[in-house]
Amino acid sequence: MRLKRLAILTLSLSSLYATSAFSQEESATARQIIDKFQTELIHVMKDGKKLGYAGRYEKLEPAVVNSHDLPKIARIVVGKEGEKLTEEQQKKLADVFTRISVASYAHNFKDFSGEEFIIDSEEETKNGGVVIHSHLTIPDDKPVKFDYMLKEKGASWRIINIIANGVSDLALKRSEYTAILQRDGFDALISQINEKIDNYAKQ
Amino acid sequence: MKKHSNMKLIVLACGVIASTSLMAKDKYTVADPYESFNRKMYDFNESVDHYVASPIANGYKVVTPDFLQTGVFNFFNNLKNFNVVINDVLQAKFSQSASDMGRLTMNTTAGLGGFFDVAKHVGLEQNDEDFDQTFAVWGIPKGSYLVLPLLGPMTTRSAPASAFDAATNPASYASIPANYISAPVQFMSALNARANAEGALKFINEAAMDKYVFTRESFLQWRKNLESDGKVNMDDDLMADNVDDTSLTQNWRDYGKQFESTAQSFSGVARQFDQTVLTYEQANHKIAQVHQLRTK
Repeated sequence: MRLKRLAILTLSLSSLYATSAFSQEESATARQIIDKFQTELIHVMKDGKKLGYAGRYEKLEPAVVNSHDLPKIARIVVGKEGEKLTEEQQKKLADVFTRISVASYAHNFKDFSGEEFIIDSEEETKNGGVVIHSHLTIPDDKPVKFDYMLKEKGASWRIINIIANGVSDLALKRSEYTAILQRDGFDALISQINEKIDNYAKQ
Repeated sequence: MKKHSNMKLIVLACGVIASTSLMAKDKYTVADPYESFNRKMYDFNESVDHYVASPIANGYKVVTPDFLQTGVFNFFNNLKNFNVVINDVLQAKFSQSASDMGRLTMNTTAGLGGFFDVAKHVGLEQNDEDFDQTFAVWGIPKGSYLVLPLLGPMTTRSAPASAFDAATNPASYASIPANYISAPVQFMSALNARANAEGALKFINEAAMDKYVFTRESFLQWRKNLESDGKVNMDDDLMADNVDDTSLTQNWRDYGKQFESTAQSFSGVARQFDQTVLTYEQANHKIAQVHQLRTK
């Protein structure tokens, strides 16, 4: 009986801890989201070779999903063309988009040679978003500027766009995706994204 | 009075013709009016790069020690700084021009003709200025996107600007002392540029699904970033919940408007290009007709 009470107490405490950790995660500021994501990226880069592509993918998947608003980004990158898609197609797009986002991080952040992310400042946008200005220092090379645009989602913030040295990832993807959708159609777009994911895994 | 109303009718008719011709254009013409021509040039440049430039550049990277590659890069980069200083002044960035002049002098002397980037170690960072950025500061619009054979991506503004850049780069005058120096210097300059672009080209090959669109979008954004000296565009319309194509195409509409103004500034060049594209379209049409006749 005493043992049962202890088990219930432990369970309650752990659920309480889990709930508080969850709400902490949920109420994170934009800066905290970026800080946590960049820290995770550096960890993965440090263990990059040991982890291999599959290991990096596995480690980065929750980090990317919890810091980016991937369903929203997937909607934005297809623009008006998205309205022509069926519900099933939209789900399929959101799924492959999540996979290619994680895959490109796992492919590009694979080794470590002393890089460091530094958050410089933050600014509010006219529509209530936040931009976190940061840069990646690379030994014996020019630093790379990373500006993260975030929007509030629930009590937390999520990355919608990343601007690397002035080049917006969202605008770049949207130009490409809409061009392919208009020219070749939905199936061709999905097949090209899957091909990219496979290539990332091979290299 | 009659003469006056006739004139009005002519003006009205011209306006209608102009507006319908604009409406009749393809949906992407505002974004990239020469896309058909540009894509052909892009494919041509890719072939040249694949069969000629890439093998030579890879060979150069294999046989040349890293320190020598860095030295060659520093040398040509230092020569480019003449152009940077001139454009600093033309953009009224006087403090930066003093720093860049110091960089140029230090690397040319203590850096043994520019082979060593000693200025970097004393905190004189490399700035990137050119005539295209100067033209932007002076208010000349960017114009539309262009891909030229062997020269690659540019805009109707950066095409003439690059001629000024070449004129202010000492490497362009290597032919003056003796012709036999010219070819190796120009060749090394091109080789150095191609070898240093390897990383970016590899990234495009890995990440792009439509390499032409990817290159165009990144090139135009990169140039915009240089014009604004790295200031981030805080316009987040693209992230709005009810985002539609109008927000995305805002930039392209701007390009379209700028194109009209640039076409006025460089009307001769623009008209010649229109005619070239028209000739291409007519040629394609004729080829299609001949093909149809043959298949019948």
